[in-house]
Amino acid sequence: MVSEEFTLWGETALVAGDSRFWSKYVAAALAEAGADVAVAARNSKKLDEAVRQVLRLGRKAMAIPIDMTKSSHIEKMVEQVLAEFGKIDILVNASDPEFVKPFVEIKEDEWHRIVETSLFSVFHCCQAVGKHMLERKKGRLINITSCLAERGLTNSSAYCVAMGGILQLTRALALEWARDGITVNAIGPAWFSETGKTGMGQEDVLLRYLPSKRYGHPEEIGSLLVYLASDASDFITGQLVYVDGAVMVHI
Amino acid sequence: MGSRNRNLMGKVAIITGGGTGLGKAIALVLARAGGADVVVAGRRVEPLEQTAKEARAIGQRALAVPTDVTDSQQVNRMIERTLSEMGKIDILINSAGIPSSHLEPIEDITDEEWHRSISANLTGTFFCCRAVARHFLAQKSGKVINISAGGGLRGGRDNYAYCAAKAGVISLTCSLAWSWARDNIQVNNIAPGWFDVSSLQPQTEPPKIPANVVQERGARIPVGRAGIPQEIGFLALFLASDASDYITGQTFIMDGGSLGAAHAPAGYVPAITLKED
Repeated sequence: MVSEEFTLWGETALVAGDSRFWSKYVAAALAEAGADVAVAARNSKKLDEAVRQVLRLGRKAMAIPIDMTKSSHIEKMVEQVLAEFGKIDILVNASDPEFVKPFVEIKEDEWHRIVETSLFSVFHCCQAVGKHMLERKKGRLINITSCLAERGLTNSSAYCVAMGGILQLTRALALEWARDGITVNAIGPAWFSETGKTGMGQEDVLLRYLPSKRYGHPEEIGSLLVYLASDASDFITGQLVYVDGAVMVHI
Repeated sequence: MGSRNRNLMGKVAIITGGGTGLGKAIALVLARAGGADVVVAGRRVEPLEQTAKEARAIGQRALAVPTDVTDSQQVNRMIERTLSEMGKIDILINSAGIPSSHLEPIEDITDEEWHRSISANLTGTFFCCRAVARHFLAQKSGKVINISAGGGLRGGRDNYAYCAAKAGVISLTCSLAWSWARDNIQVNNIAPGWFDVSSLQPQTEPPKIPANVVQERGARIPVGRAGIPQEIGFLALFLASDASDYITGQTFIMDGGSLGAAHAPAGYVPAITLKED
């Protein structure tokens, strides 16, 4: 008894910006709900993995290896998806740069790189895909940001700034496009791992701190993502929802 | 993941305030789209029986238990009766509450008015959570969904007790989520914006919200319309399902962008033209 409000049959999704962690799981969740999925990011075998997941689920898939910091690449990405799929109903911005460094040691080009690979690519993608969605008066933008959009973390200043920027872009765009049939929301994951380790050190200290005593697995954002991409969430816009095993209620 | 696990077949859900309004919408969506068996609890028996009748017509088991949630003994009895008649409880949805009927300056609010609102909107939710706690902890699973309001996150002019109670519900949600994070019990909160619930009032009552008011208020919401009660139902369905097992302690704001627009009136477009050099 699957409710059709949660399915994405006939919908087309573009997952942009991540070639490290989320794309495979995000693409699989969308495809399982019935969507065809394009995945665009820096060239990586992770893109091919994402495509294989989608094909395995019987949906159409395409990989678009591009440089997310170049607006010309992003324009071309949108053209390619439209040529292949005819429309984009769902855009997931999944940029998640790994960068940990004491603030005073961050070089100017590193700061630009982190902010550019996340915040700027989200800006470019929302603009390029948003134009298409505004014409159709229909769209779902979902930005994957982080609990660090609203919390701080040592040696993570550049990352926090980028994630906070994505959150504020989400809120402002939601209002700007509120009457255009486009919802704009964000998902904020906490500590996630594919393997049970984050590789950030002091794992036992971290796990002891977490209310759920475990990391999330990337497939655990899939159901929320599908909900926010579906018609059922039409009255939710401008929101950030954390998927965090209760980290954000920690004092 | 995906829609497969959103199935609530064989699960038992209690919905307080399930006779009318959003509670009724939630009960019927859980029954129809989720396949859940439902127990509706509230003060008035006729609307409860009506919801239960509609759930049975869908093909689900349903039970109406007249309960004043501000009375802990009645709440405990309702939980016991659910366990004995339905066998278990998987989902608790605390939707009972009373709206802020009359707004007054703080100096005019009586002790009774304050206590009445806090009891109905906060204490009742606490009583229900406490009453299912042992059962949820013993079975190592459970879903609690509390219904708060935008007023619980911000404030309301001369709307003291209601907003304080709804803020209390959000705080209760956070503490329970943390306390039960390792017991496979998820506790989340929905803060609805403005919804047109006129279709869910008992047919014997005159509509509480005239159609033109629905239109006018809808126009003041960023997306340009009032919420449809079934939309809350589907969010509750998502939060009641296994699909949301790593989401806990969250407040889901479903308000068509209203809280996000609080910096300026909805639809306000700044028209400053910046000079370019």
